[in-house]
Amino acid sequence: MKPSKRICLLAILGAALVRSLFAASPGAWEQPASELAEQIVAILGPGQAHLTIRNLSTLPNDEIPVIRRLLTQDLKTHGVSMAGEESANTIRVTLSESARERVLVAEVGEGTQTQVAMVNLGPIQAERLPATGGLTLMSQQILTSREPVLDLLETPSGIVALEPEQIAIFARGSDGWQQQQRMSTGTSHAQARDPRGALLGYASGWSFVAWLPGVECSGSAAVQSQPTKWTIECRENDDPWAITQPPLNLTNWGTAAAGENVLVTPISAFYNSARNYFTGVISPSVGVDLPPFYAAALLPRSAGNGALLIGGIDGKVQLAENGALKVVSGTRDWGSDFAVLHSGCGAGVEVIASSSGEAASDSLRAYEVPALEAVPASAPLAIDGTVTALSTAPDGKSVLAVVRNAANQYEVDRVTALCN
Amino acid sequence: MSRHFAISFFLVLVCVCAWARTRPHYGGSLRVEIAGDPWQNPDGLARRLVLDGLTALDANGLVGPALAVDWQSDDSDHRWQFRLRQRVHFHDGSPLNAEAVAMALNTACAANCPWTAVRAVGSSVVFTGDSPMPNLPALLASDAYLIMLTRTADGQTPANPIGTGPFQFASLNNGTLTLTANDSCWQGRPFLDEIAIASNRGIRDQWLDLSVGRADIAEVPPQELRQAEQQRLSVVVSPPVEVVALHVSDWGPLSNAVLRAAIAQAIDRNPLSNVIFQKQGEITASLLPQSLTGYAFLFPADRDLNKAIELRGGISPPQLTLAADTDPTMQLAAQRIALNLREAGFNVQVANARNAPHADLALRKLPLGGADPAAALETLLRSAGENVPVAGRDPIALYRAEHDVLDLHTIVPLLDLPRAWAVGSRVRDLRLRADGTPELAGASLEGTQ
Repeated sequence: MKPSKRICLLAILGAALVRSLFAASPGAWEQPASELAEQIVAILGPGQAHLTIRNLSTLPNDEIPVIRRLLTQDLKTHGVSMAGEESANTIRVTLSESARERVLVAEVGEGTQTQVAMVNLGPIQAERLPATGGLTLMSQQILTSREPVLDLLETPSGIVALEPEQIAIFARGSDGWQQQQRMSTGTSHAQARDPRGALLGYASGWSFVAWLPGVECSGSAAVQSQPTKWTIECRENDDPWAITQPPLNLTNWGTAAAGENVLVTPISAFYNSARNYFTGVISPSVGVDLPPFYAAALLPRSAGNGALLIGGIDGKVQLAENGALKVVSGTRDWGSDFAVLHSGCGAGVEVIASSSGEAASDSLRAYEVPALEAVPASAPLAIDGTVTALSTAPDGKSVLAVVRNAANQYEVDRVTALCN
Repeated sequence: MSRHFAISFFLVLVCVCAWARTRPHYGGSLRVEIAGDPWQNPDGLARRLVLDGLTALDANGLVGPALAVDWQSDDSDHRWQFRLRQRVHFHDGSPLNAEAVAMALNTACAANCPWTAVRAVGSSVVFTGDSPMPNLPALLASDAYLIMLTRTADGQTPANPIGTGPFQFASLNNGTLTLTANDSCWQGRPFLDEIAIASNRGIRDQWLDLSVGRADIAEVPPQELRQAEQQRLSVVVSPPVEVVALHVSDWGPLSNAVLRAAIAQAIDRNPLSNVIFQKQGEITASLLPQSLTGYAFLFPADRDLNKAIELRGGISPPQLTLAADTDPTMQLAAQRIALNLREAGFNVQVANARNAPHADLALRKLPLGGADPAAALETLLRSAGENVPVAGRDPIALYRAEHDVLDLHTIVPLLDLPRAWAVGSRVRDLRLRADGTPELAGASLEGTQ
C-alpha cells in the first residue's frame, strides 16, 4: 500500500473512531437513565406520565431515541407507564451541558407543581482533530501533565520530565505512564514567566543532565533495580546549557556497551536566567559572534561539517557557517522554537519549526535548509494548543513537542515524518 | 443568532490574541486607559498588578496556589490552614509572613467575612468559622481579599499600596498611575518594564488615544462592542463574567414576598438585552450561567405581566426607589425596568446609587467568578450581601441552593455580560483572567528587548 493511501485509510479509521465515541451507544446511557428514572419515581410515584425529551447539548440527536427507550423501560420497571399529552403528569427530560460537563435533567410536573431531578453525566471529552499533510508529519501523544513540562527525555526504563521546579520520572505501567519519582530541584531562584529548561541524555540511556535557570541537575539510574531507582542531584550553577543533540549511535542504546558518561553534545550556550533567551555566547565558538537567540539547531553539512541555525530574539533566523552569520529566508512563518529531525526522507535532515502565530491555531512544519533558504518539506501539522518547546529525541528520528492546550494542560507529543 | 455570531466572532479574536507562538519580549512601557479608578475595590486594574491573594484563579477559573502553597480543612470545613510560600517579599523588602497576612485580611474584611477569625500560626494562616466554609480557597482568590502590607518595618501605614505582585507603585501624576516591574517577583519578573494607567478617561477618548498610538489598551463596554467592531479595533472579549441583577430589599414596603415575586415577573429582559446592551448580554433568570451549570434553562426568563399584576393583587405599595450606578447604561437600564414595573402597578422612581444607599431596589453588576459552580455562587451571593455558604458539588444540590435563593425574589438576575478590551497592535500575549480583566503581567510588547 502506498503511504498516501495508508494515510487516507488511517484518517478514515480515525474519523470512524471519533464518530463512534459520539454514536448512539446504549451501554453509556444505561446507568444515567436508571438513576434519573429512580429520581423521577421518587418524585412522581407509580402511575402514568407524558414523557418528552429534548437535546440542548452538543451531542448528536441520535442519542435521544436511545435515552427515551432506556428511560421508558426503567420508568416502567418502577411502575410509571407512558401516557399521552392529556396526562396531568409530565416528565420533560433535557440533555444539557455546561462548558465542562453534561447533565440529564428531568422537570417532573404534577398539576401546577414542578420538581427537578438531575444526573451528572461527567466531563465533556474534547474531540481531537486529525492532522493532515503532504510529506507527512505525524504526532503521537506521549504524556499529559497538569504541570508545565519544559523538556522530556526518553530512557530505556521510562521518561524523564523536566518541570520548572521539579523533575518527574515516569515508568510504563498497565494504564500507560505512571509517575515513579518526583524530586524538587531545590532552586531558590524566582520563577520565570516564560520558563525554559533542557535535558540531555547520556549515550547509555541511564543518566542525564538537566538545566534550569541558574540550576544544573544530574540524574543516574541504578540499572539493576526494579523498579528503576533514579538518583538526582541539583546545584546552583550558571554553566552553559547543551543546545544541540545530534543523533546518538543507538545500536547499543540503553546497554552497558554504550559506555557511561559519554556526553554527546557539541555545543553549549549561556542562558540569561533573568530572561527567556540564550545570550549568544556559546562553547565552542563557531567563529562568529552570535546575537541573543531563543533556539538553535545543528545542521549536518557535507564533509562532516555542521552549520548552526539560530532563531534570534529579533525574529531573524540566521545560519552560522564557515565563520560567517547569514540570514535564512523563508522563515517568516516560523515561531521561536525549532529542532532538527533526521527523517531519512528527501535530503535526510529537516528542521521542524513551530508556526509564528499568524494562523488561528498552532502547527508544526518540516523545512529543508539546503543553503540560505528554508524550503517547506511538509504540510503543516495542526497542533491542538500552543507549542512551548521543541527538542530532538536522542535517536534524532523524532522531535518531542511540548504543547500547552486550551485547558492549560501540557502534553508531550512525539513528531515523526513519513516519507512519501 | 446574530448575537451568538457576534460573540463567537469576538471570542475568536480572544484566541488569536492569546495564542501567539513566538516567545515574549522583555521591556517597554504599556499604556492603559480606563474609565474608573485603578485602585477601586473590587476590580481596580492596579490591584491585581500590585497585590496577590493567598489563592488565585487560573485562566480556566480553577483555584490554585498563590501566596499560599497548599491548604487543608478540618472540622467539617470550620477550620482551614493555609501554608505560606517561602522567600516572598513585599515591594519594600519586608518578608511576607503569617502575621502580615493575618493583619492584611483583618484590615480587608472587618465585617461579614467568610470567616469568624483569622490568625497566624507559624508559617501558616488559620481561619476559623462559626459556619462551615466549604469554598474558602476560592473565596480567597477574589479581589476583596488581596494581601496588602498594612504596617511598614518602622510601624507606619504605607502611603501607597504595597504588595507582592508583579508590579510596584512608582508614581501618580495627573491621574496617571505608573507601576514598575518587580524584578524579584515570586512568579517571575513580568515582561513589561512599566505600566502607565490613565484613569477616569471617557470611552471615546480612550479609543481615540488607542487609534493614534497614545494608548495600548482601552476599555470596551459590552454595549459598545459593535461600535468597536465598526471602528476596526482589535478586541478581546471574555465569556460572561458578571450578571446584571436587580436587588430587591426584603424589608419595608417589599417585605411581602408576593410583591417581590410580582416585581420579578414584571421585568422584560428583551429590551435590556436588545436595545440597552446592544445584544451583547445573554438573557438569564439564573444566578449562574448555563455554561457553568448546564441547568440554567430551568429558570424561565420570560416576562409575565398578567401574573405580575395578579400577584400584586390590590396592594399598592408606596413609591419605590430604584438605585443604579452613575454609569449611563445602567441608568438607562434602570429607567427601562422602572417603566416595566409601572406597567405592573408599581410606582418607581430611579435614583443615583450614591444618593440612595437604602433604596428599595438596586440595579447592580455581580461577579461570576471561577469554574467551580458552588464557589462561584457563594462569591456572587456574598457580593450581593447574602452570607450563604454553598455546599455540595453535585448539580441537583447546587440547583436547589440556587433555586432556594431565587425563590426569595431578593435577587432577580437579568443579563450575563462579558468584559472586553481594545488592544493596540504592539501588544502581544494578552490573556484575560477568569474575571475578565487583562492579565498584564503576562503581556509583552513588540519591538522591545
